[in-house]
Amino acid sequence: MSRISTWLITSSIQELITPQNSSSMASRVLVLASILIFSCFAETCYGAISFSSLQRTLVVTASHRQGLLKAGEDKITVRWGLNQSFPAGTDSSYKTIKVQLCYAPISQVDRAWRKTEDHLNKDKTCQFKIVKKPYINVNETLEWTIERDVPTATFFIRAYALDSDDHEVAYGQNTDAQKKTNLFEIQAITGRHVSLDIASVCFSAFSVVSLMGFFFMEKRKARKSQQ
Amino acid sequence: MEIEGQATVKESQPPKFALLVDSEHKATEFHLFSSAAPHMRAFHLSWISFFSCFVSTFAAPPLLPIIRDNLNLTATDIGNAGVASVSGAVFARIAMGTACDLFGPRLASASLILLTAPAVYFTSIASSPISFLLVRFFTGFSLATFVSAQFWMSSMFSGPVVGTANGVAAGWGNLGGGATQLIMPLVFSLIRDIGAVKFTAWRVAFFIPALFQTLSAFAILIFGQDLPDGNYQRLQNSGNKQKDKFSRVFYHGITNYRGWILALTYGYCFGVELTVDNIIAEYFYDRFNLKLHTAGIIAASFGLANIVSRPAGGVLSDMMAKRFGMRGRLWALWAVQTLGGVFCIILGQVGSLTASIVVMIVFSVFVQAACGLTFGVVPFVSRRSLGVISGMTGGGGNVGAVLTQLIFFKGSKYSKETGITLMGVMIVCCTLPIFLIYFPQWGGMFCGPSSEKIATEEDYYLSEWSSKEQGKGLHQASLKFADNSRSERGRRVHSQTLPSNATPSANV
Repeated sequence: MSRISTWLITSSIQELITPQNSSSMASRVLVLASILIFSCFAETCYGAISFSSLQRTLVVTASHRQGLLKAGEDKITVRWGLNQSFPAGTDSSYKTIKVQLCYAPISQVDRAWRKTEDHLNKDKTCQFKIVKKPYINVNETLEWTIERDVPTATFFIRAYALDSDDHEVAYGQNTDAQKKTNLFEIQAITGRHVSLDIASVCFSAFSVVSLMGFFFMEKRKARKSQQ
Repeated sequence: MEIEGQATVKESQPPKFALLVDSEHKATEFHLFSSAAPHMRAFHLSWISFFSCFVSTFAAPPLLPIIRDNLNLTATDIGNAGVASVSGAVFARIAMGTACDLFGPRLASASLILLTAPAVYFTSIASSPISFLLVRFFTGFSLATFVSAQFWMSSMFSGPVVGTANGVAAGWGNLGGGATQLIMPLVFSLIRDIGAVKFTAWRVAFFIPALFQTLSAFAILIFGQDLPDGNYQRLQNSGNKQKDKFSRVFYHGITNYRGWILALTYGYCFGVELTVDNIIAEYFYDRFNLKLHTAGIIAASFGLANIVSRPAGGVLSDMMAKRFGMRGRLWALWAVQTLGGVFCIILGQVGSLTASIVVMIVFSVFVQAACGLTFGVVPFVSRRSLGVISGMTGGGGNVGAVLTQLIFFKGSKYSKETGITLMGVMIVCCTLPIFLIYFPQWGGMFCGPSSEKIATEEDYYLSEWSSKEQGKGLHQASLKFADNSRSERGRRVHSQTLPSNATPSANV
């Protein structure tokens, strides 16, 4: 599909470059505009795989220590594999497995940038990649250290099976369909450092003190010029 | 252009200026690429410092995708912080206007910039939604430097070029709102690539606008001066400038109805500009499914149009004044701002990406030119209380920003496109009061100057001084200004009889 839009764009640019008289200019601009609009729509229509069309054929579990997990420090052990109750050959199209950290509904409230949408290319539920590797028909385990750019929120883990075109064909998650069980909380790093704190305070104090210094010098100069 | 102005000034030792000046030593010409003291130097200092304040105030929005995760912000928190960032300046601008009248623009602006720099430094150590709101609120106070910049330009530049000087200084300052959408992500990625974690990199990035702000304040203090003849304090001590009373200055400012009308109309050009700065990236991102990076570039281009559109407004104001006087300035202001409203209505209606971008750019040109045109009129509303009028108008701008964001863009009452259309309708309606502005000596949009004998520039500007104050000679500066403002009559200047003791004006 991207090849078609590339072709459309290059042909329309060629149209513009070749010299023409002004009367057809307006119509050509109109054509170019409509081509661009069409190609934008075409892209969005074609790539729309919906989550509700996927089968939940994978089994995913996650284990971790008790309590609030800390980003950058704690580890989560993720296990995934094909659900054996499905007939053999279900995974014939699975080429890659992508395991992601996803926001639980409670962390999506009043935050449109984490919204769940059925169309997967608009869906913002899962924003952190744990691992993406070729699929093998074996139960796998991974110990993942929570990365330092994960924010403070409640999460669950989901795995997508991708086919050879990198499109999602199946999924599995460690929570239920309503995303209410087996959730875990992660505490982000603050990003603050003592050196930053000290620098902030020092520079602020410097600004205010230098202002007073300037005032003092002005008063002295004014008094001197009066004498 | 005659050079009589310089020849007629015969005080102790007439100072030599690099530019042509009038009897108040205000420059009558504007040379953009010179930094000669004091006029052009003041210009460059004021636009650079105002630019740095805009960069600091709008430094957070482009980094919000990272900040909101670090500080665990909700959409409500972000919206509140956005409103807070522009609401602080409402009263700060009025206070700044008064401070300029009393202490001079140099000390007033440098003090404000240095006192708000800590808020920008402390943004680096914000750790919760409340602290984020507070730092954005206090950083927003720095937008009051707009008033000191305009006051300074109105003190340094005379009638024929004051619109241009004000327009370029403010336009290039407002540029900061667009430039920051490009600067901050760049600084952030630089710091992150050096090795810092995302949640630390954005904090370090805030030191850049903070340092820029601090340094620009130092530059003002070291290289700037309030008036062509020197600084307020020295002039006051040597008796060349009278120290005025706050209560009188404030009273004459707030009782001038023209200040209130301009405050309202400025809310619907500059206020709209601030609102659009806050919402346009999200609008393009959501409506047309663009990448955040692309939406950010489009958002930046709205603010970047300021580099020519606001100065163009100022230049247009001066051109209209040359031909038609103050009436020309008022007509141009009404027409350009109303057209801005019309294009805003259209922006909310168009559904395609290309058309939206084109309409947005046309809309930005008209709305920013209207800002420039407004400050072609402001310097003439009052001489004694120039600062208070500038402050009221500037404050009105921010009130407009707060109002439009609260009415049209908070929560999900209106879709963004409906909000934009309705905002356009409100612009057209709130521009109508310009019809009511009337100067007895120059006229208004529909009426010519008053035919009564008492309607001269001197009468208008001296009405701000009581006879007791005039007896003490406190009104001399206003007298000079009245004489110099005769150019606002347009081409009719020499058809009116001049008072016999007035020096012929140097700039026709």
